[in-house]
Amino acid sequence: MNLSSSRSIFALGLGLLCLQVPLRAAVSRGFNQLLDSVVRIDVREVTFEEGSRRFSAGIGSGVILSADGLILTNAHVASPRAVEINITLASLEVVGAKLIGWDHWTDLALLRLNLDEVQRRGLKFTHAELGNSDKLLAGDTVFAVGTPYGLTRTVTRGIISNTSRPFEDLTGVDGYETGSFNTWLQTDAAINPGNSGGPLVTEDGKIVGINSRGYIGADNLAFAIPSSTAQRIVEGLVRNGAVTRSYVGLRPGPLRDLEGFYALALNIGVLINSVDPGSPAARAGLRGGDILLAINGQKVDGRFPEQLPPIQNLIANQPVGSALKLSVKRGTDTRDYTVVTEKLESRVGEEWALEKWGLSVRKVSRSYARENQLSDDTGVLVIGVQPGFPADVAGLSRGDVIMKINQQPVGSLVVMKAAYAEYEAKPAPTLLEALRSRRVSLYILKP
Amino acid sequence: MKFYSCLLLTLSLAAGRLPGAADIPALWAERVKSVVAVEFYVETETDRQPGLSYGTVVDNNGTIILPSAAVDPRVSPDQLKDFKVHLAGETASVPGRYLGQDNLTGWHFVRVDAKLVPGLTPITAFAAKDGASAPGPALAEEVWGIGLRNKDEDFIPYIMVARIGLLQSLPQRSAIALHEIAAPGLPVFNRDGVLLGLATSSFGQSYLQFSRPDRGGSPVILVNVEESSVFHLAEEVLPYLGRVPKNVSGRPLAWLGAYGLEPVDPEVAQFMKLDSQGAVVISEVLEGSPAEKAGLKDRDIIVALDGRPLPRLKPGSVVVSYIDRELAKRVPGDLLAVTVMRGTERSEVKVELGDEPKLIREAGRKYFDRLGLTVREFVYGDAVALRVKSGESTGVVAHFVKPNSPVAIAGLHADDWIKEIDGVEVKTFDVAVNKLAAIESDRDRSEFVILASRGGETAVLRVKLK
Repeated sequence: MNLSSSRSIFALGLGLLCLQVPLRAAVSRGFNQLLDSVVRIDVREVTFEEGSRRFSAGIGSGVILSADGLILTNAHVASPRAVEINITLASLEVVGAKLIGWDHWTDLALLRLNLDEVQRRGLKFTHAELGNSDKLLAGDTVFAVGTPYGLTRTVTRGIISNTSRPFEDLTGVDGYETGSFNTWLQTDAAINPGNSGGPLVTEDGKIVGINSRGYIGADNLAFAIPSSTAQRIVEGLVRNGAVTRSYVGLRPGPLRDLEGFYALALNIGVLINSVDPGSPAARAGLRGGDILLAINGQKVDGRFPEQLPPIQNLIANQPVGSALKLSVKRGTDTRDYTVVTEKLESRVGEEWALEKWGLSVRKVSRSYARENQLSDDTGVLVIGVQPGFPADVAGLSRGDVIMKINQQPVGSLVVMKAAYAEYEAKPAPTLLEALRSRRVSLYILKP
Repeated sequence: MKFYSCLLLTLSLAAGRLPGAADIPALWAERVKSVVAVEFYVETETDRQPGLSYGTVVDNNGTIILPSAAVDPRVSPDQLKDFKVHLAGETASVPGRYLGQDNLTGWHFVRVDAKLVPGLTPITAFAAKDGASAPGPALAEEVWGIGLRNKDEDFIPYIMVARIGLLQSLPQRSAIALHEIAAPGLPVFNRDGVLLGLATSSFGQSYLQFSRPDRGGSPVILVNVEESSVFHLAEEVLPYLGRVPKNVSGRPLAWLGAYGLEPVDPEVAQFMKLDSQGAVVISEVLEGSPAEKAGLKDRDIIVALDGRPLPRLKPGSVVVSYIDRELAKRVPGDLLAVTVMRGTERSEVKVELGDEPKLIREAGRKYFDRLGLTVREFVYGDAVALRVKSGESTGVVAHFVKPNSPVAIAGLHADDWIKEIDGVEVKTFDVAVNKLAAIESDRDRSEFVILASRGGETAVLRVKLK
């Protein structure tokens, strides 16, 4: 029933398209070259849900950036969980690729084509160039190219709807944080599932964004990572396979029109809404309600939400372990605080499945521990149990934090894996201690 | 001698042959004088919620007990207003006075106006002559209890009859009947009219609803709040009827300071060779508590109190209530010997029980109507919940936030922790009250700023007053 109705909509849609006068596409040489550099990406990845190791498949888009086969896509298309990546070139030939690195904060990932295979099979590909997203204006015409719903090499057209949309999501990229350090391009070019990772380009075929997300159910509200951000991330990923950022633990909020209350000149200062407990900023004595006036002497202006990601980025770009001089106003006093940055960590720790127990776990990260007011990052979080398996039978459930196994504190996944290996070699009852919203319970995993 | 034994035999035979011999209507007429309906109001910042409960008369002074569920535990005693007591089947009511809640039994005590007392019969009049040692009901025995209809039917009493299906320690000795046997808080009798116990709050019954559209849907749990199938036996009721609270707060309250008691599950107990008894893990020993002073540690496993091993109760979670009751039976200053397992070592710790720190329901509160906010004194329980050291805790708690009020529009939620007002740290409740009172009365003020904390994160909220 559903199928037939969707078919009729499809037919109606096609009919309408036939009636329309064909629009003249932008057919510059650059645009054609761009079209030939867009690829379809098929990813098989491992998941550790429900207490077992499982595989899932997804389709996304990407764009070839260089003659040596670098492909830019989204972090939510290709992540370190990927076990197999296949690229469909413009020639429709399929080639393997490897992940060079990812950066979920900006939702970008970098792949490299299997050049040996390309050479062996005599395949050809072209690459596109990154343009300058900083020069975009709202209203500029842009095209999205990608693989919506698996429809390879689909071009849609729209305009830039907004050049700097702030948008932060703490679980936006498969449970990982995104959007704290960049603003997004907003476009009304049609972007659907499968467009992810494909380029947003100007009429001359220059990449100004990487299409990433859209509001489900809304009409043509889609977002892309600006090429100016992508440029920096690509460089970092090529160089180190990862982008390292600094963390101090400040959570800014827009100052808007609180200048009067804080007795500030207009357009200066960032309101510190919150300071993460135990973070470098908290240890230095900063607290919620403080006003940050300058970082290392550079004045900051965080009046509006749009201005906050660049300020966060300014801190993130400092080398890890560097001492920042933060000028802070509290009440009528202004003084400098020295804060030594830490390496920024995701709240999502390493995951694993202990399959005979039917238990999947994730290492408790420092930031998960902070968010959940755990005393430190000891322990592993239960992210799934398989019904009928020992962990489920013992009474463990998703959200529990395993603190000890056979009386050993679980400081890392290694401890869990070692206890599991012992169990696999010689199954015996295994004692676990776990926290469930601060309450301690004991569990026995029985063979 | 011969004659007497012969007579006894005859009597018992008669009882056996004629089970309906007892004159239930006559017993009924006497015993409905022991039950009342109690109406009251819970007065909040913006409205008055009516409350209704059923109660049992316990003495000749007009003292009535209501089951613990009669009043929401978050309600402070000073919010309880206008108690009115109705005799079963009577439209008219007389005023009553709220005396407080007993910590051990959970009962709320109410005393009725003297003029109603002559019409009441205390439930003790129907207790077995040898009191608490009377044998309880037998399995499958048919028993009866009293229910009351609603106010629109003048609280007419009616009878419920059922057989006993299960006798269990929860941890109080309790009987579970095969269906509803009395309204919660009202008495249950045997066929001779002897008091067997008081009905507690109802149990949920699970039903599988086959017409539900979702496949494999879980059962629907239905709870009959007006009638219950469970009652505590007379031995769990009669000894405690005299526990009339000395004040509405129910103090003195003994305090141990062991937080998050979790039962050790039977398989784990077996693994630890504790399978013949109950055991409970202490999740956290609270800062500054008697437990901490006595040297108890987080993760200690309690195995005995005053040398008596914890009983193995079913379900396992009941053993936590057992410990709570053991504490409630004691008063501050009492010594309690707690035997714990720490790793594989067993040791006994003597704890001098303390006085329970001020509870949320006892905390100072003040409502500011124009701001739309009730602030509440920050108490020890808040420090525990927020994981801050009680010495470091300042500020007040947003106890109530009026919908669409200035503070609600600014983004304040109930239970937010207010740390600063207008950029100045709020050190005490009085400071907060004075500051907010000044803001509220200043008609020229157009805004003020709150620093509030929620879930460990703070936010600056700007409250617009104009």
